Amino acid sequence: MNQARIEVTDLVVHYGDVTAVDGIGFDIAPGELVTLLGPSGCGKTTTLRAVAGLETPSGGSIRLNGDTVYSANQRRNVPAERRGVSMVFQSYAIWPHMTVFDNVAYGLRVRKLPQAEVRQNVQRVLGLVQMQDYADRPASKLSGGQQQRVAVARAIAFSPNVVLFDEPLSNLDAKLRAEMRVELRELQRRLDITSLYVTHDQEEALAISDRVIVMNGGRIEQIGTPEDIYNRPRSRFVADFVGSANLIEGKVRGPSGANGTLIFDAAGGVQLEVVALDAPRAGQGTVALRSSYIHLDRVPDSHNAVKGTIHRRMFHGDFIQYVVDWPAGQLIVRRPPTELYEEGSEVTVSFAPDHCVLL
Amino acid sequence: MRSISLRQIVMPLVVLLCGALVLYPIGFLINESLNVGDPSVFPPEEYGFDNFTNLTDDYRALTNTLLVSCIATVLAVIFGFLQAWILTRTNIPGRRRLERLMELPYYMTPLIGALAWGVLLGPKTGLVNQLWRSTGAPGDLFNIYSAYGIAWVMALFEGTVAFVMISAAMKSMDPSLEESSRVLGAGKLRTALRITLPLVAPGVLSATIFVFAEMLGSFAAAFVLGIPGRFYVVTTVIWQATLSFPPDYGRAAAMGLSLFGVMLVTLTLARLVLRHGTYTTITGKAFRPREMDVGAMRWPLLAIAWGYIIVAVILPLGALMLTSFERFATVIIPQMQFTTANYTTALQMGSVGPAFVNSLILGISVSTIGVVVIGVLAWIIYRSRMPGSGVAEYVIMFPQAVPRLVFGLGLLWAWINLPIPIYGTLWLLALAYFTVFLPLGLRTIASVVLQVDPSLEECARVCGAKWVYQMRTVTMPLLRPGLVAAWLLIFIASVRELGVSIFLMGPNSKVIAPAIVNSWLSSSSELSAAMALIQTATVFIAVAILFSLARRVTGVTQ
Repeated sequence: MNQARIEVTDLVVHYGDVTAVDGIGFDIAPGELVTLLGPSGCGKTTTLRAVAGLETPSGGSIRLNGDTVYSANQRRNVPAERRGVSMVFQSYAIWPHMTVFDNVAYGLRVRKLPQAEVRQNVQRVLGLVQMQDYADRPASKLSGGQQQRVAVARAIAFSPNVVLFDEPLSNLDAKLRAEMRVELRELQRRLDITSLYVTHDQEEALAISDRVIVMNGGRIEQIGTPEDIYNRPRSRFVADFVGSANLIEGKVRGPSGANGTLIFDAAGGVQLEVVALDAPRAGQGTVALRSSYIHLDRVPDSHNAVKGTIHRRMFHGDFIQYVVDWPAGQLIVRRPPTELYEEGSEVTVSFAPDHCVLL
Repeated sequence: MRSISLRQIVMPLVVLLCGALVLYPIGFLINESLNVGDPSVFPPEEYGFDNFTNLTDDYRALTNTLLVSCIATVLAVIFGFLQAWILTRTNIPGRRRLERLMELPYYMTPLIGALAWGVLLGPKTGLVNQLWRSTGAPGDLFNIYSAYGIAWVMALFEGTVAFVMISAAMKSMDPSLEESSRVLGAGKLRTALRITLPLVAPGVLSATIFVFAEMLGSFAAAFVLGIPGRFYVVTTVIWQATLSFPPDYGRAAAMGLSLFGVMLVTLTLARLVLRHGTYTTITGKAFRPREMDVGAMRWPLLAIAWGYIIVAVILPLGALMLTSFERFATVIIPQMQFTTANYTTALQMGSVGPAFVNSLILGISVSTIGVVVIGVLAWIIYRSRMPGSGVAEYVIMFPQAVPRLVFGLGLLWAWINLPIPIYGTLWLLALAYFTVFLPLGLRTIASVVLQVDPSLEECARVCGAKWVYQMRTVTMPLLRPGLVAAWLLIFIASVRELGVSIFLMGPNSKVIAPAIVNSWLSSSSELSAAMALIQTATVFIAVAILFSLARRVTGVTQ
């Protein structure tokens, strides 16, 4: 049973005058896959590289498997090669001057394993990524997807407890990316590897993770399960960055009385029932509403039903995106491709109070 | 922590050692230029600025230098620009082969060019002038022993340098920039004037400044063609000052430092122009430029392209070849007497045979050791993020801006005054070569270091490899193409080195380039031609062997 934890506390990383990571902390339990999600420049890759030992932080501490590998207070910084973690690089970092076998065997040979054991392990992991027939190929003669598989095989060959993934799928085309996502998750579960995974693709993060850490400007915006992050965003940034959401400005009037919801006055005289995750503050506020949770023309059973007009329709295949004019401005609505409305037609938009989250 | 400490010892050591090798002789140069006491006493008895204020006495040499450099720069840039445009932007036939041939002048060196044009256009004895007289005409058609002659030879050589720089600018221009101008309705001419020219201009300007700076410090052509006609430029005056009795080292040093100052300013300027004036042309990405259909114009353009190669390569080599096999240099057929005696003499003559051997020994050992040390140095400067590596780069690149001859002077004093008895031995020459070729090696290897994705090395470390293991299994194999190229360039540069060798060689450590020059000035042109051809052939053979080796090495891995 894997017992390796990753514990990051108050981590600070500077690049010259720029603070790339500004005092963040999180724990990853053994066998868990946690994703660092955020836009480029948010410090997610820097955090990952600091855990790997490839960046030198200027504050905080990092513990791997109970051992302190970095501590600003103890002036301790274990070099990358002695941290025992493994990593899959965004560029794959497949050494072009070696064969597939030599690439995968590298970590085993560094650890001076006997030849037979090296061979056996390389065969095993190449089998796991379905690349056993390519062992003797020069690594420079592989396609992008094959290089990706070799990079994963190399990272798990020496049976590390912790594997770091730096945007491993971002260079693949969309179809292959979706397939590899499933395979990576399978492999991570099967081998029980504690994983820290960096991506800027919110869909990938939601699909693959046990928990997601949303980062912005070197700080953590929210930590939670994928469902948590999607259904109950804590900040404007999270609501906007993860998934498609409508942000509705307005004023909190007070409790409605029924099942703990609040009354919220939006523009155009629209009155909504909303929920608050924290103790609600009176006054100006913003409500986040996922575009997939809005119904068009459903029998208005109860709350939050308003009349509107279809302004624009865009067919996406898996869904249809509507821009709906309503008294409070415009709403983005996503419906299944079976729910077809003409542009200009009158509709009633409705949504449950539970899905209107006061930020 | 032991693995780290090895790296921590090696890195500063290499940087400090190489830095000292560069700065130590320059320190001596500055010291000597301020010496106004007895020049043969060290340390100087008296300091002052007299050497600098007296420089005005040499104003003839200064104006000569400017005259020659200006004429030669203009010619070289015209040659280079035309050649670059024809070979990168037009559809004349056989461009690939022509482009390959354009590398040849680089292997030929200005010394060969000077000797060959001396043989061709020397007064009275020059082959062309012989032909001219045989028609009954009086006097000489051309006299190469003049400012124009020197400028001509330098321009032919530096034309290649200008070609390389300008065609790089032309090649790295994104063709879609021109295409979008055409799509928006601008004609060919308007596109050329409003889009192409502004984009290429910084490249041309920086090539012009760079070539000019090179010419200010150049020595070989002015030496071979200027001395017989008593036409002096700054570098030859420096040489003269060290030979006079008593040797006027202070004056030589002051003059050398001033030249160094001027070159440093112009080279910095060239770099600034390239950095700030360039829009898209230094992305480092090579595009296949759009070729212009020049129609019937392609035959005259083809003639121009071949004309340059004939004048810069084929004619000089041919003349040297003919001369080297003759008893007396002549083109009048009834007077020709063919012999191989010049070659046997060249290889047997007391000091010449050993000079060849010495040059080969130096070339092989300096390039081999140099590649290893500079390889580590390049990694330290561009990869390790060691504090101060920017300063280290600056210091290591210093010899580039110092005229070779001036650096030789500094090295001479620096090592004479050290209680290590290496003056007059090959050790000193090896050390000097290594020092002056640091920039060449660093630039060549750096271009490869910068291309290697850092994550390839990081991955090795994450896999558990220590520094030495990572350098051995990942870094060095990936740098191999750059290391091979650097070896080759340093080898070629060593075998043909003149400026430093001329000061540092002793009676028992002769090398080939100065030996050729001495033979030219003191004995026959036929013998010198044979020696120069043997030197050129040596370089060519080495290049050929190395290219085939390199192809095999890279062919296996890629």
